[in-house]
Amino acid sequence: MKPAVTVQDLRKTYRQPRRRTGAFGGLRGLFQPDYTELPAIAGVSFDIRAGERVAIIGPNGAGKSTTLKMLSGVLEPTGGAAQVLGFTPWRERRALAYRIGVVFGQRSQLWPELPARDSFALLRRIYDQPADAFARRLGELAERFGVAGLLDQPPGRMSLGQRMRCEIVASLLHGPALLFLDEPTIGLDVTAKAAIRDFIREQSAREGQTVVLTSHDARDIELVCERVIVINAGRIVLDEATEGLRRRFLARKLVTVRSVAPALDVEMAGVTRRPSEPHTTVLEVDTARARVEAVVAAALAHGGIDDVSVEDPPMEEVVHEIYAALEP
Amino acid sequence: MRSTPHSSLETWAAKAARPWTREALADLRAAAGAFRLGFTGAFAAWPALVGRVAFYCVCLMVLGAFWGKVGASRLPGTLAARLPPGGLGPYVGVTEWIVISVVTVQLRFEDEVRSGALEARLLRPRSWGLLLIAEAAGGTAARMLAIAPAALALLVMSGLWPGPQAVVRAALLALGGAVLTLLLYALVGLSAFWVRRVLPAMLITQKLMFLLGGLFAPISLYRGWLHALAFASPFAAQLGFPGQAILSMSWGGFARALAAQGAWVSVLAVIVALACRAGVAKTLREGAS
Repeated sequence: MKPAVTVQDLRKTYRQPRRRTGAFGGLRGLFQPDYTELPAIAGVSFDIRAGERVAIIGPNGAGKSTTLKMLSGVLEPTGGAAQVLGFTPWRERRALAYRIGVVFGQRSQLWPELPARDSFALLRRIYDQPADAFARRLGELAERFGVAGLLDQPPGRMSLGQRMRCEIVASLLHGPALLFLDEPTIGLDVTAKAAIRDFIREQSAREGQTVVLTSHDARDIELVCERVIVINAGRIVLDEATEGLRRRFLARKLVTVRSVAPALDVEMAGVTRRPSEPHTTVLEVDTARARVEAVVAAALAHGGIDDVSVEDPPMEEVVHEIYAALEP
Repeated sequence: MRSTPHSSLETWAAKAARPWTREALADLRAAAGAFRLGFTGAFAAWPALVGRVAFYCVCLMVLGAFWGKVGASRLPGTLAARLPPGGLGPYVGVTEWIVISVVTVQLRFEDEVRSGALEARLLRPRSWGLLLIAEAAGGTAARMLAIAPAALALLVMSGLWPGPQAVVRAALLALGGAVLTLLLYALVGLSAFWVRRVLPAMLITQKLMFLLGGLFAPISLYRGWLHALAFASPFAAQLGFPGQAILSMSWGGFARALAAQGAWVSVLAVIVALACRAGVAKTLREGAS
């Protein structure tokens, strides 16, 4: 079976104009521009199978969004080659647009003041879809994503979770074979995040869509994707199945306890105390050696607890560990 | 039928086989959809629309009264002596109708270019610039429609009713003027690709509209080179000709004004299309932000 995405030695170097100093610096810059070269992607290669769900992760500035932009056709690379569903994205951007759906978590494609239905109607015209087939598809997706009752509401008056579900519906209306999701759960509460992850996973399983996702949230990766590509400083530092990554790097949880006492003393095997502010105790739990419930129970046993939260370590930390583990 | 990747592939194969004329028609259908969205959106934000109508009425009452006083003085050897007896209220009514109605599309262009939102739009199979202009045209049409009854009422109440033919000529030329204004604003907005902030370009354009377009006074009052310059500029076709049509204009003059507008719309549309293409190419090469 032909891969949905093939990337070979893809590179991108941004050129930024250097500002000159002095009274006439700006004017000189206009006639004799001087540039600083900023390498963003330093040669990445990978394949993605049709129907596969892949996360591209990395710390801020690692190059994951740049990679996604090149694969979706809105950025030309400096070198290398890529094929997405048989198209060279930056040369056949418009043709590719019919076959991909894109969601930018921080950018809306809906009109905030008009009912979502009106935005969808315009998208039908943009993607040149027949009216009856479109109405059927919208009905199906609206039902599946739980937005049927929201179609007459303007997105500006929806909650972030509702809006994001509408954004995903908008990206799926033309029946794309590949979905690019850039931070689809950013800013959402826990319930909304869980709903979005379920929807994406089920949608991909139902229609066989390939999903390429970037996120800083480790749960997005764990719960949606079956494979992770880690990029750091423009290079792939790890490419493996999520299960393997989870076993190696996400077997830790952070338990944060806010207490009346300046600090709590929780002595257990597999639990390490991290430096923190007074009245806050941050415990790193190795889930292979200690159960999170037992750690929380031990903390609560001290009494005078204001708040307890359990989180995954930040993805930056995971990436840092991965990177450190790969160094000789 | 459920849409699957396989059926998408077939849809795309069918699209790829289309002749370019059918693709152009698809572009026009999408633009019509954007126009409709802009039109509906303007009416959905009806308090802003009511405010705009009120602003138009205030502007017109102040400027109409001002030109009425100047015209009434009839001082020999001055500009006042060359004004129509009723002043320039109807003229300003037309030029302000255009200027107050046109959506400030340059700000949308600037915002999308500077914020990087443009990238999300480039992921669609239709021209980003065309859709943005079409949506702004829809908003402009809604505003013109909302202001029109107020403009007609003020014209009737002022006692300066020029007759139905003059009103029809002025209205048709005002539509052309609005299209020209929209294209000029779009061009200003597209400058964001190179200069980031469009305010300086917009200020220059506004001054040119004021002076060469005859926003507050007809360019027919100018003399010598200034008159020739104003007459040959797109600003005359944008504001001066529609305003003049309500004061005095023959059908022949109307046809010439319409032809001038058509020519300028064609020229500006080509320049806007080229600037949009160059700006998008720059973004694809260098990234959005």
